[in-house]
Amino acid sequence: MKWPAVKAFMLKNLKLTLRSKADVFWIFAWPTIWLLMTAYIFLPPAVGQPTTLTIGVVNQDSSQLPVNGSMLIQILNASEYHGASLFEIKLYENRSVLIEDIKGGRLDAGILIPENFGKNLIIGQASLRIYIGMRDLQSAQIAEYTLRGFFENLNKGIALRKIDESLRYIKLYALRYMPENFSIPANGNLSWMEFMRRWMLGLASPINASFTSIKPEALADRPSILGWYTFGALGMSMLYSGLMFGSLMAVEERERGTLRRILASPATSTDMLLGKTLAGMIVLGAMAFFMILLGVYLCGARIAWNPLRLEDWIAALMIPLIALLMIGLGMLLSLIARSVKSATNLSVVIGLMLAFTAGIWFPSWWLPSWMQVIGEIFPGTWAIEIARSILVYNAPLSEVALDVVKVVISTAAIYILGILAYRRVLRRYAEA
Amino acid sequence: MDPPILSVKNISRRYCGRIAIENICFDVFRGEVLALLGPNGAGKTTVLRIVSGIARPDNGYVRINGLNPSDPRARSLIGYCPQEPIVYDDLTGLENMLFYAGLYGLSGSEARRRCMNLLEFIGLSDYANRLVKTYSGGMKKRLSFAIALIGDPRLLILDEPTTGMDPQARREIWAKILEIVKEGRAVIVATHYMEEAEQLADRVIIMDRGRIIAEGVPEELKTRYGPRAVILLKILDRHAEVLDALRGIVSEGEILEEDGEIKIHVDDPDEAVPRIVSRLLQEGIKLEMLRVIRPTLEDVFLRLTGRRLSE
Repeated sequence: MKWPAVKAFMLKNLKLTLRSKADVFWIFAWPTIWLLMTAYIFLPPAVGQPTTLTIGVVNQDSSQLPVNGSMLIQILNASEYHGASLFEIKLYENRSVLIEDIKGGRLDAGILIPENFGKNLIIGQASLRIYIGMRDLQSAQIAEYTLRGFFENLNKGIALRKIDESLRYIKLYALRYMPENFSIPANGNLSWMEFMRRWMLGLASPINASFTSIKPEALADRPSILGWYTFGALGMSMLYSGLMFGSLMAVEERERGTLRRILASPATSTDMLLGKTLAGMIVLGAMAFFMILLGVYLCGARIAWNPLRLEDWIAALMIPLIALLMIGLGMLLSLIARSVKSATNLSVVIGLMLAFTAGIWFPSWWLPSWMQVIGEIFPGTWAIEIARSILVYNAPLSEVALDVVKVVISTAAIYILGILAYRRVLRRYAEA
Repeated sequence: MDPPILSVKNISRRYCGRIAIENICFDVFRGEVLALLGPNGAGKTTVLRIVSGIARPDNGYVRINGLNPSDPRARSLIGYCPQEPIVYDDLTGLENMLFYAGLYGLSGSEARRRCMNLLEFIGLSDYANRLVKTYSGGMKKRLSFAIALIGDPRLLILDEPTTGMDPQARREIWAKILEIVKEGRAVIVATHYMEEAEQLADRVIIMDRGRIIAEGVPEELKTRYGPRAVILLKILDRHAEVLDALRGIVSEGEILEEDGEIKIHVDDPDEAVPRIVSRLLQEGIKLEMLRVIRPTLEDVFLRLTGRRLSE
């Protein structure tokens, strides 16, 4: 191996890549567009915030009682979940317009507050009609269960108010006829009043379930989702660009007419291979660095890097390893891709298909179980997952160690097979 | 006598069962230009590819200064300029040169100096920093020629070096080649231009259908295989009648019509010219021009194969 020859190939390829508009588009512009679209269209800044339902309300309760339809609307308007409004209320004059808007997908749900709602609520049980928009099952489920939760809480609140009122009246009138310290023997030392309070509370809310929020180690908030997708975009681009670098290595020189001149020089096929591989790895490394900066600073992805942490360096090592792996696979692809056009097309098609089916762009659990196998056996997915686990989800070395070994071994094996393919292709072109 | 810089011994090569070259054998010595002359498909390029170490022969062997061309040390002694362009359109002329300089182990200021000298030598120094895609076809050919010289080769291998060039540019390249030979380098040039072989070559190998059919210095080949003289006729019209009339009186040589001129190979021009003129006068054919010229290698090829080089 002669370093000046390796360097000559490397510099020449770097210059040609950076001067080719098509290469720059596929390596830098396309993943940038993809990531920006993801960050601002598919995962807009509102993602991760509580859902606000758009609710249409027809209020037919015109009474002036302290409890009426307007009070219910006020409560709906004031309801919040983690600081965000639960409902955006739109008032309607009649039921038919409300139903039309639900059918048109303009409302998540509708509430019809009938006449005498407040009066019935005070003296007994009030009725409400709730209409759930079935735009899709997921949004219908969210709307129905949000409204059910809301009315359950409201019912409980109203029941407690009614219990308090009832106990006040019991105290005022019933205690006139029995001593205040009268107790029920079967219930220990409880006073009769306390017993009544607990009994009525049980009628209103037999189970008092308490809810506590626990933050998981891997947060599914927007920054971490974007961190995940930044590596997805990076991986996707690495896949087809790496394949392209590998598959074009010999055929591009042949079509340019430069291959024979190179073969007639003292530079060896190893010099050419190393120079071109290095150029490919430099471009892919620069692309990865650029994508991470873009993800973190322009899209708001959470990717933590600590140079004092061994795991973070292992995550960084995954970048050249994926580059090498894909270049090796590209060299294998050159056995069948016999022109620049077919090599480019095959690389893009295979690269994109792999990105979408191997758990690189879409999480593998989104995919059908038979398709998940691709991600389980593809070393590129292992490498991307290692980088994600460490840099986005802060995984310790012990969690990824085995996968790191698998990635190193499989990359070395595929690159060696790629070298054999490359030598064979070179000989074929030289002898043709 | 110095040992040859290049020895080619009985090399043969087949492609898909078809003979490309068979039993090719020759040597090239320092300070010598050897031309491989033959029509397209004669096997010249195959010979050069094997000599350059790109392809391997099925039989026979090649030695460059005693080394097999598959050895990088042997390839460091040669400068190969293939027929097709060998430059990258998206690099400048200088960047192209520097790339190839790197393949010969040159780098840094030494490489840059050598590249600039060569660009100066072939008259492209003013265009050194322009992208090659802005170059004309002739400029690209000149750049390819300069690239062949980048490793300071002892053997320059040129495959159709002036194809597609205008006559002026062609003469300039010939002059450069002769300049290089004066420095003691050897040159092997494949061409189908008879004039190129005559201008450059100390020795000529005539190839046809993968085989060597004649070898020697140009004058010797003409004497041995060519006619003694060629009569060149230019007539105004009635070409078909003229050809018929001439066939009746010239029996010893070939008669060819090319670009409105008629060429007749004769062994005794003193005897043939009066006969031809009187016959044409008898027929009432007006003669515009008649010249007796020396035979060329084209005439040798015609004599040997019955075909023209351009066929």
